[in-house]
Amino acid sequence: MKRYLGIALAALTAILGTTACGSRRPVLHVYTWADYFDMDVVRQFEREFGCRVRIDNFASNEELYAKLRAGATGYDVIFPTTYMVHLMRRENMLIPLDREQLPNLVHLDPKFRAISADPDNAYSVPYMFGTTGLGWRTDRVPEDFEASWTVFANPEFRGRMSMLADMREAMGAALKTLGYSLNSTDPGELAAAGELLKAWKPQLARYDSEGYRNSLASAELVVVQGYSGDIIMIREDDEVEEVRYAVPREGGSLWADEMAIPAGARQVELAHAFINFFHRPEIAAQNMEYNYYHCPNMAAYELLDDDFLSDPVIFFLLHGDPELLAKCEFIEDLGEANALYTRIWDEVRAAR
Amino acid sequence: MKAGWLPRVTTLLVLVFFYLPILILVLGSFNTSRTIGVRGDFTLQWYVRLVRDRNVMEALSTSLQIGAVVTLLSTVLGTVAALALHRFRTRMQRIHYGLVYAPVVVPDVLMGISLLLFFASVGFRLGRASIVLAHVTFCLSYVALVVLARLQEFDETLMEAAYDLGATRTQAVVRVLLPLLGPGILAGALLAFTISLDDFVITFFVAGPGATTLPISVYSMIRYGRPPVIYALSTVLIALTFVSVWMVQRATQRRTPA
Amino acid sequence: MDGRRGGAGHGMRRREWTMSAPSLGWLVVFFAIPTTYILVLSFRPANPLGGVGEGWSLESWRRVFQPEYYAIYARTAWISGAATAICLLLGTPVAYTMARAPARTRAWLLTLVVVPFWTNFLVRIFAWKVLLHPDGLIRHLFGALRLIGPEVSLLNRPEAVLLVLVYTYLPFAILPIYAAADSFDFGLLEAARDLGASRFSAIVRVFLPGIRRGLGVAALLVLIPALGSYLIPDLVGGTRSVMVGNKITQRAFTDRNWPEAAALASLLTVAVFVPLLAVLRRPGSEAGR
Repeated sequence: MKRYLGIALAALTAILGTTACGSRRPVLHVYTWADYFDMDVVRQFEREFGCRVRIDNFASNEELYAKLRAGATGYDVIFPTTYMVHLMRRENMLIPLDREQLPNLVHLDPKFRAISADPDNAYSVPYMFGTTGLGWRTDRVPEDFEASWTVFANPEFRGRMSMLADMREAMGAALKTLGYSLNSTDPGELAAAGELLKAWKPQLARYDSEGYRNSLASAELVVVQGYSGDIIMIREDDEVEEVRYAVPREGGSLWADEMAIPAGARQVELAHAFINFFHRPEIAAQNMEYNYYHCPNMAAYELLDDDFLSDPVIFFLLHGDPELLAKCEFIEDLGEANALYTRIWDEVRAAR
Repeated sequence: MKAGWLPRVTTLLVLVFFYLPILILVLGSFNTSRTIGVRGDFTLQWYVRLVRDRNVMEALSTSLQIGAVVTLLSTVLGTVAALALHRFRTRMQRIHYGLVYAPVVVPDVLMGISLLLFFASVGFRLGRASIVLAHVTFCLSYVALVVLARLQEFDETLMEAAYDLGATRTQAVVRVLLPLLGPGILAGALLAFTISLDDFVITFFVAGPGATTLPISVYSMIRYGRPPVIYALSTVLIALTFVSVWMVQRATQRRTPA
Repeated sequence: MDGRRGGAGHGMRRREWTMSAPSLGWLVVFFAIPTTYILVLSFRPANPLGGVGEGWSLESWRRVFQPEYYAIYARTAWISGAATAICLLLGTPVAYTMARAPARTRAWLLTLVVVPFWTNFLVRIFAWKVLLHPDGLIRHLFGALRLIGPEVSLLNRPEAVLLVLVYTYLPFAILPIYAAADSFDFGLLEAARDLGASRFSAIVRVFLPGIRRGLGVAALLVLIPALGSYLIPDLVGGTRSVMVGNKITQRAFTDRNWPEAAALASLLTVAVFVPLLAVLRRPGSEAGR
């Protein structure tokens, strides 16, 4: 029965498919985070390679994974974070990369090879490094404000703060505050982190992974847990001078979003060209100036202003306070222990 | 006895409640200030930014393409369904009616999750096609219900007259029934088109490569984009709404015996 | 009553089949089967790597009856119930006014009520995000009137979800009540007044029972989508506004737990169909045409 349904559905797709495509140029399907690269870069790529790029957005690694598992095949380039690359690789969801087609990888900063998901770039190439920390508005907090996760316990900002709606990031902040690893799988430590999150919850307006940017810009929220580049973007692009970002003194999470080709990709060659293009030095520089994250491309560094390149927030891995950097960790995939996280996170979200 | 003051005042307040948020958005879209409430000057810059926003324009084109296919399929399916429901009064039609009615009332989340898990388990690729299939499922119900309502006002003697004048069944349907049903079918089609263009939840569940529709893009903008550009987009959508409501009203009023 | 016209039973049956098969087939494949299929899925074990595990399991059903969920069920029920009550409370006077207005005014009112219903769903929610913003119009107004203190936020709370639900579904409530009120014989109200009933008791004793079918349909049209709301709590609700719809989405898209999403969805289906059948099963209802 199922099989026949499948066949009937496939026939229908074929009919519908013909109505859907207009031009004959090949189409590259990219699945990425919202507003993650300069659209001018995309236009340039389309001109040079005679193709069209269609971009769809996901809001979390889990959404990306769930969609691919549910049958959203046909994406050519995806941007998962390191831990998701590991998981997808184990699940045979990625196509091995052909290094021959990626000559620009010579520019990759060797300092970061070891910490990327895939030091040999067999399956993925790092796109941007960033940190998760605190963003706040200087006009709404006392002058002696110091970045610490414990701010979430402060009733002064009740209803004007948010944490990420991301299990690993929220749990990570609590684990760090308690002095544990954010990849801890110790049930006792995790339970303690859960209790801490429950204690913070009454002060929070919401758990939010995307909307906090606008809310901080308009001062609806005054302290948020967020991604470094997103928060700098508010200051630089929306010209909201009062916005600041820092990694809290307890340490935060480090992450890299990588570019990979998922199984089922239709434009494998073009996908390689796209990944390679994003590591062309001028393009990498242009994207860094656009999204305020750190692309580990040495040739691109040379094209950036000294001011920009010495920014300790954007280039935290290069110029951040070494002591603080030592307290930060990359989020890793935990396999079976994921279920434990989910259970505690559920309790937190269900708590009053 | 005239309506008392309480119902009238309530009506007035409800209308204010309905239109205040819309008004705020429209005003904001012409204002230079980024935050609503701060007074600025008149501008059209947000509309220019909107038209230049490639992602929005692509999403709009995707939505229109999907909407067109959905409207066509659901109008045909829905009209035939309405004819069957009207003509026959059997057990099968009771089941048929139940099935037509259900997608209209079932919450979007339920339809979204069940279609997603269904597509996943039969191995159907998520993308534009899956969105079209999902949309037709609920749009055909709306078309069927609108056409059915129209059919119930239909004067059966006209068909009898056609037969008496020697028309075949097909002739009677094509020459008499369909022209009289035309406005109803058109209203159903417009409704289907609007609902397809408006749907976020179900689309979000079953979307795949190249299937970022306008609502999905709007959702992403609400969370991530620049507010004034969203005001401008909202204003455009609201204006379109007025136009389509006006069209539906004209379509249904024309040829309606006074 | 069988078919009205034309040949013998056999031909009729065939014609009925040809005319019903396209939509019936479509709805069976894309509605009935998927909806039933989630029930089947809910009895499968979860696969922590995504998808569905092998064999059968009651784990998902055990989980959805754990105490953590009760708060969410209760919240979903009270928010939806309150939204329904408010919609009926506001919708009835509006429908009454419309039904009693002169034809031209009535056409205008009808259009004015329908337009918000046609306006993009997301845009409507977004408008409220703007209005309820801490620096927004309503906040300033309330603040100036000393109704709320400076530290109170209007956004990110269950009440905000309730407000936007009412805003979204009120037109759905007004239309069926209006349809019922339109065919109500207002002479009955006059008669009741002549017999000495006060205006209020005439409305309660005569008008409301006269339009009860409209009220029933209106209640359904608000209650059912409200029970399944996901987007509104997501956009204007805070940490304490999670509803069943959000949980289903979370299980499906973040937790890699399809069976539990399926179990929750099945539970919601039951919650939706019980009131639906209760109202539609009554004689003289639309389903029993």
